[in-house]
Amino acid sequence: MLQAHSFLWHYLWLAPHILQLVLAFLLCRRGLHRLFPVFLAYAVVEAIEEFTLYGMDVSPSVSGETFWRTFCVGLVVEGLIKFALIGELALHLLRPWPAVARMGNRLITSSGVVLVLLATLAAAYAPIDNPDNAIISRAHVLQQTLYIVLSGLVLFLFVFAAYFKLSWNNLDFGIALGLGILSCEHLAAWAITASGALPDQRHLLDFVNLATYHICVLIWFYYLLIPQQAVTKSAVALPEHNLEMWNRELERLLQL
Amino acid sequence: MTLAVTIVIAAILALALILRIAISHSLQAPDGSRAGQIQPVDVEAFRNLINPAEDDFLRSRLSSHQFRVVRRARLRAAASYVRVAGRNSAVLIRIGEAALAGGDPRTAEAARQLVGDAILLRRNAALALVRIYVALAWPHSGSATEHLVETYERLNGSAMRLGRMQNPGVAVRL
Repeated sequence: MLQAHSFLWHYLWLAPHILQLVLAFLLCRRGLHRLFPVFLAYAVVEAIEEFTLYGMDVSPSVSGETFWRTFCVGLVVEGLIKFALIGELALHLLRPWPAVARMGNRLITSSGVVLVLLATLAAAYAPIDNPDNAIISRAHVLQQTLYIVLSGLVLFLFVFAAYFKLSWNNLDFGIALGLGILSCEHLAAWAITASGALPDQRHLLDFVNLATYHICVLIWFYYLLIPQQAVTKSAVALPEHNLEMWNRELERLLQL
Repeated sequence: MTLAVTIVIAAILALALILRIAISHSLQAPDGSRAGQIQPVDVEAFRNLINPAEDDFLRSRLSSHQFRVVRRARLRAAASYVRVAGRNSAVLIRIGEAALAGGDPRTAEAARQLVGDAILLRRNAALALVRIYVALAWPHSGSATEHLVETYERLNGSAMRLGRMQNPGVAVRL
């Protein structure tokens, strides 16, 4: 069951990306593609990339070298789109609140720079675990590098929003949550792979990666399909005693 | 291998933090229960604590050692005021966001103003706390909380404006 080219393996590789295309269709049908153009592009490009890789993997005429080269190119494209997606989420989160928008943008840029430096440092110290096929090792290190930056940026978004009590739009929150789970799990899995550990158990890590991706796509579906969380319509009254107290304080200030 | 273990631990911690924030986001307390969490801040006492003229006066009257001790005590007291102001701002952000959903455009505008001011105060409170901790290490440094009182006063104004719209019956003395 947990072997490469088993039914489960085929299912986990293909099904999430078919679902992603359905997700893209639903986004367009609901008119959300105008609000989430980068997420739409991500869903489509990721599906095309994975279908291409799947076809190359099962086709006997494609060499391993060609597969891994295509994998690396796809990874770079996918990485760029994911960074743009984080930008889209940050824009949606910060745009309504100019008081923190500038600081948020500066902090996210600074965090990105620090994370790129850390990821580069980690890549420099990563071993080439497969000298005969160095491109495979490089692909693993590239994955590790990408996910260090991605998971750091998603974590920053969550912490920033939580500290300033910024409210997420439902779908923004779902996308960020899925991306956060995906990035952290993939980071751990690719760090183990890039280190050369567990050489005989790597197919298990592949299964964990594929299953996590499937769960994340389902999370995106859930947040797309559930209606926008109903915020309480009854206005919450500020407590009178506090208003009185604040008024007293203000009066005292005015008398200064 | 050490590098991989470090990265795996960092990834697990990051995932745990993201999930914790996500769960607390989903299990937010009803907003009605938040109003009671606002704690009073004696603005006058706070203003006195961070007044640079008071610091100058103390500096001229006390020995260097005595001044450091007194300044640190004043900074610690100011830090507790700033923390309370920061917590109040978080409560007001939630109250303002709940009021944003109301149908009345004037109330929604007042709520938007309240949330904007509360976010600004929370930002200033965070920066002020950093400055206070720096000043605790170097007590002879300059003022630690320049803009905080003004932001707090503006927040008071926004909160009162929203309160008046939501509770027109409550007498507001200005």
